[in-house]
Amino acid sequence: MLSEIEALRETAGDEINKAGSLKDVQDLKVKYLGKKGLLTVKLRSMGAIPPEERRAFGSLINEAKSYLESAITSQENRFRSDELNQSLRIEKIDVTVPGRYIPAGQLHPSTKVLDELITIFTGLGFTVAEGPEVELDFYNFEALNMPKEHPARDMQDTFYVSDDVVLRTHTSSVQVRTMEKTPPPLRVIAPGKVYRCDADVSHIPMFHQLEGFMVDKNIRMSDLKGVLELFIHRVFGSNTSIRLRPSFFPFTEPSAEIDMSCVICGGKGCNVCSQTGWIEILGAGMINPRIYEMAGYAPDKYTGFAFGLGIERVAMLKYGIDDIRLFPENDRRFLAQF
Amino acid sequence: MLVPYSWLKEFVDFDLTSSELGHRLTMAGFELEAEELTATETVLDIGVTPNRPDCLSIRGMAREASAILKLPFKDLSVSVKGEAGQGPSITIEENTLCPRYAARTITGVRNGSSPKWLTDKLEACGVRPVSLIVDITNYVLMEMGQPLHAFDLDRLSGGRIVVKQAGDTKEFFALDGTKTVLEPDMLLIWDDEKPVALAGVMGGANSEVSDNTVNILLESAYFFPASIRKTSRLTGLASESSFRFARGTDIGALDLALDRAATLIVELAGGEVSTITDIYPLPVQTREIEVTFEKINSIIGVNIEQSFVENTLISLGLDTRRKIDTSRSLEDTLIIIPPSFRNDIQTDIDIVEEVARLYGYDNIPSTLPSVHMSPAPEHELYKQIKTMKNSMVMSGFYEAVNFSFMNPNMLDQLLLRKEDHRRSFISIKNPLRQEDSAMRTTLVPTLLQNLSLNLNRGEKMLRFFEVARTYTDTGDKLPVERTELTAILHKDKSAALWEARNVGYYDLKGVLENLLRVINLHGVEFVPSCDKTEPYLHPGKTAIIRVNDENIGTIGVLHPGVAVAFDLKGDITVAEIWDLNKLLEYTAAIPEYRTIPRFPYIERDIALVVSDSVTAADVKREVLTSGSDIIESVSLFDIYKGKPLPADKKSLAFAVRYRSTSDTLKDSDVEEVHGSIISRLQKNLGAELRS
Ligand SMILES: [Zn+2]
Repeated sequence: MLSEIEALRETAGDEINKAGSLKDVQDLKVKYLGKKGLLTVKLRSMGAIPPEERRAFGSLINEAKSYLESAITSQENRFRSDELNQSLRIEKIDVTVPGRYIPAGQLHPSTKVLDELITIFTGLGFTVAEGPEVELDFYNFEALNMPKEHPARDMQDTFYVSDDVVLRTHTSSVQVRTMEKTPPPLRVIAPGKVYRCDADVSHIPMFHQLEGFMVDKNIRMSDLKGVLELFIHRVFGSNTSIRLRPSFFPFTEPSAEIDMSCVICGGKGCNVCSQTGWIEILGAGMINPRIYEMAGYAPDKYTGFAFGLGIERVAMLKYGIDDIRLFPENDRRFLAQF
Repeated sequence: MLVPYSWLKEFVDFDLTSSELGHRLTMAGFELEAEELTATETVLDIGVTPNRPDCLSIRGMAREASAILKLPFKDLSVSVKGEAGQGPSITIEENTLCPRYAARTITGVRNGSSPKWLTDKLEACGVRPVSLIVDITNYVLMEMGQPLHAFDLDRLSGGRIVVKQAGDTKEFFALDGTKTVLEPDMLLIWDDEKPVALAGVMGGANSEVSDNTVNILLESAYFFPASIRKTSRLTGLASESSFRFARGTDIGALDLALDRAATLIVELAGGEVSTITDIYPLPVQTREIEVTFEKINSIIGVNIEQSFVENTLISLGLDTRRKIDTSRSLEDTLIIIPPSFRNDIQTDIDIVEEVARLYGYDNIPSTLPSVHMSPAPEHELYKQIKTMKNSMVMSGFYEAVNFSFMNPNMLDQLLLRKEDHRRSFISIKNPLRQEDSAMRTTLVPTLLQNLSLNLNRGEKMLRFFEVARTYTDTGDKLPVERTELTAILHKDKSAALWEARNVGYYDLKGVLENLLRVINLHGVEFVPSCDKTEPYLHPGKTAIIRVNDENIGTIGVLHPGVAVAFDLKGDITVAEIWDLNKLLEYTAAIPEYRTIPRFPYIERDIALVVSDSVTAADVKREVLTSGSDIIESVSLFDIYKGKPLPADKKSLAFAVRYRSTSDTLKDSDVEEVHGSIISRLQKNLGAELRS
């Protein structure tokens, strides 16, 4: 009886190992281990075994059963894995068909540059302030030391709504508005739209400016230079150098125009910089004490600086855009490039 | 201003090329704008800022250059010889507008053409030669910056001058023959009976010097700048003279210029010169300005040698001395008296600027401010707009930035009613074009124009948005400025199939829903607009966007008539959010946390046939308000119209999700509620279950 089991185990093991397909393996599973399987039948015949042999018999038959089960499982796994590999060889998708997505749009380049500048200055502790675009003559001019008929008004072509109301010509109009509400010290940037009654190949009647101003104790002109240098380096790279030239704005004193080394030619001279190697990028200066008087600050206690720059101009230099008239046109092929 | 190189060199003996000179001037605040080569020499075009009218002449520029270059200034020496006869009679009736008026008469001159050296110099400065007498006045104007005017003495009634305002006189004929309409407060020069010049702006045709003139009256005066600027602006008349008067001439040197011109006239045109009549009742008081070295250094941020400061100020012509303070041993304060040609120097800060300018901005170091930290609150609106713009961009939209102007006609094209608030716009008095004469009260038309431009250029599947202010006139001095978001979506047959499946409305609505989710705005409803439809949108395909019963915007298909007016075709959807500032009130900055459900949900579908007029929102509302607390959500998953349904019916299919917060639901719990929902829908909406 024991030898019968030995033989059965041997035959079955052989057959399983030689099986040619998953189906053969499954058939063999039924043949030996199914309800009427050869080994199962033997197990059922346990009752006929004399009690003293039963223990050895049981152990032998269970050992044979687990041996066959494991042989079957390993064969099944082998055939399943072959089958999977076979189907992996056949199944294909065209991976070159375009993906499905909503292509992202783009921010306007003016917004991109403005956001970049705002990030730089808020990182330096400046807060964003706003003011009306349709503005009182008072805040746009008079409070900035430009009374009516002041010759400095010739510097900006102004759109008038009435005798006392203008479209703001600069975001400097936010200066006194902010100072009236906020006691010093302060660090403020005022981004926004400004208007000039001027349109030709290099001028558009509406563009964006960023005005910045800082008032505190002991602010020096060298600080203005340092802050502007830091900002130009962040936007145009640290190889860019800046130079300050004396200039005139009624609301700053001393006043300066700030040039940076030409980003197109690197300072050698080209058409963009009129062969000078320098490009005018912003206007700035120490806030004129008269502005503090206008705002009700103690003029002897505080000093500060202010600067203003044109966003489109920065964008043109940064991206190499050669025509400012593209900005208000909103041609998608233009907008898609930034 | 045009500055001939050689003329400047007559005053300062520099050894620099014109470019080197230009660079030195530029770095001291006088920007070299161009260099022009004429037949005979190099002319520098130099930008003179409005605060420095003293440099609107060769002599003035030379005086400045001598300070910049630290070279001696060789001034003119002028003296009138052989005065004969009494100066003319002058009466100033308007002292504030004309504080000083001087004149001489010159009799027996021969007017004619000017010598070549004179016309060459004038032409180099861009001045057209006229006749000897006029050319000499222009020459002195260019040389000294003082405008002069020569009258034909024989054409002045009474041979005298009166300075007074126009009063009742309504018109005046200027040299160029144009008729000028006068305002009562404009300042005129009169003889005994009539106005003979628009003071400081232009002489009159009735007294002008001609080739036959033998006797002249030569005027040299100071006029109040703002008055001249206003007269010039209102009359549209401008001249080299009015330009300089409007910026401020040197009240202290007008007699010198008068004498310079008189001498030249006698020399070149002959004649005899009278004594001077110089009416200057209230001479301008000099002012003393005090400034400490410490202040100069602390504002500039550098330590400048005291001797440099003093020498610089003296070289600029400023009377500079140390203040003697017996109580202190240090003499650290300067007392400065600016000359009459430097009216721009009024306070100590002006002195600081002069020092900084000549010290050289390049020599100022770069430092960073040392300040106390102070709280920098975020600008909530700016932050939210940034989030919204980024969301729109990720949804495939391009940001348009348009001019804030609009053509008022476009309001008609939008079919706006007479009483529509968008018709209360602000007009610009001096627009560049009629199309740009009003400030936008809506962003829709300019976006439609963006669409049209891009379509005409062959672009397809366009999605644009703009965030900008609108300006509504409410009768106050300043309009109400409101920040709005408008988006526009265009679809045409070129769309890829999977894109074309939906109408644009649902695309744009999805974009908006996502946008509002991104900014944490919850409880948004899209309500059929019915009689509140914007006139430029399709009445059957428009929703009002509502939060907390407040209308915050609209979304709808463009009205076909408006599409035609803007020359547009295709499926166009427009969405607007009207007031981004107001939106901030609804968008909770900190999202509210809710516990994650612990028990599983059970989902049941309902397929209904309803009348076409029943909306998905109607069904949803019925389900959610049916009173059971285990209904978690209801979502639409299919809409069907068409056979075999009757034409006025549609089928809607919803998935209702049930969940309890305290238990795992059993099928029997759900069955009961689900059944009651169905009977509620049948009863309230006339719905039939679809088999
Ligand atoms: Zn260059």
